[in-house]
Amino acid sequence: MNKRRPNPKQVPDPNEPLWRSTLRVAMPLNLSYVPIGLACGILLHAAGFNTLLTGLVSLLIFSGGAQFLIATMLTINSPLLSIVLMLFFLELRYALLSSSLSPYLKGQSNRFLFFFAISLNDENYAINYLKFATDKKWTGKEALMVEHYSLLFWAISNVVGSLIGSALKIDLGIVNFALTALFLYMIVMQIKNRLTLLICIVAGLLAAVCMMIVKSTLGLVISTIIASLIGFALEATLRKYLPESHWLWKLRSPGAKKSAVETSDGK
Amino acid sequence: MSTVNTWTTTQHFWLVILGFCVAFVPRFLPLMLFTKREIPEWFNEWMKYVPVSLFTALVVKDIFIDSATYQVMFTQIPEMLASIIVIIVAYRTRSMALSVIIGLLGVFLLSLAIHV
Repeated sequence: MNKRRPNPKQVPDPNEPLWRSTLRVAMPLNLSYVPIGLACGILLHAAGFNTLLTGLVSLLIFSGGAQFLIATMLTINSPLLSIVLMLFFLELRYALLSSSLSPYLKGQSNRFLFFFAISLNDENYAINYLKFATDKKWTGKEALMVEHYSLLFWAISNVVGSLIGSALKIDLGIVNFALTALFLYMIVMQIKNRLTLLICIVAGLLAAVCMMIVKSTLGLVISTIIASLIGFALEATLRKYLPESHWLWKLRSPGAKKSAVETSDGK
Repeated sequence: MSTVNTWTTTQHFWLVILGFCVAFVPRFLPLMLFTKREIPEWFNEWMKYVPVSLFTALVVKDIFIDSATYQVMFTQIPEMLASIIVIIVAYRTRSMALSVIIGLLGVFLLSLAIHV
């Protein structure tokens, strides 16, 4: 069931072909993309996108949040510039995600980085980040395969959703919650000590305040930068002055003997 | 979904192309820069806190922020309750698919229960 746990009993069969072992890692994500992708395709169809363009947008933008946003903004007839600007602020967060993956992708060609960047996404980022941090054998090649599997499932689900779009009615609010649930899951996976939990709460409060002030999703970018800097400063201070602080203790989880997000020791 | 969008396919096409540009540049530039030269240690330590901050911000936006006025709201009771269910499921099972499906079912049943 769980591919993220570094469990010694789950050491893959050495003869297993690469495409199968990476597919096994990507499968939970692929399956969760199916309902979300179907819903997104249905919404894009309702917004006037034809099936071909729905496939194209899924391949080129490949972001659930961005595609849901396009569908919503098109139905309220927003101008092109305003949609593109909103997309820009929404997608700006990938700068932070791809920076945090870059230590693991040193020495790759520009061509590889190009394809890696195109198919990078919140969810496959989360998988690859965990794999890079916990699995020494995980390389850029495997990571790119996971990205491509998720891209394939995402695009096909979107196209199928677009095709059945006219036949099916779906509640926008409920569909959007699929994305929220995905993010919630990823937060739970990220929380490894009390300090992270604290930062999570701080980030939530900051996000609300920033968005009320800025009145756009740019507030998300601002609050993310501030909250992560607070976390960074707090951890550096604690490690320097109170290395035994209980804030740095690892949290136990019933799902895993070892903490799920164990950073590689000593970097 | 009652309003029908008046855009033509060509306009949709340009939206996709422009959207691709703004989606691609933030993903590619940092990868390109930071795989060629050394990232300072503090930058790595900082980046550790980025995902949790970002995902929390996105969840807060989805549940507590009104997308039209950008004001805080506490009216999405089904979503709030379903979020708690998702957190428990994610914590206990650590399975992404289970978390999403139970979350969707939860929000569906809770909104039925509340609106009936």
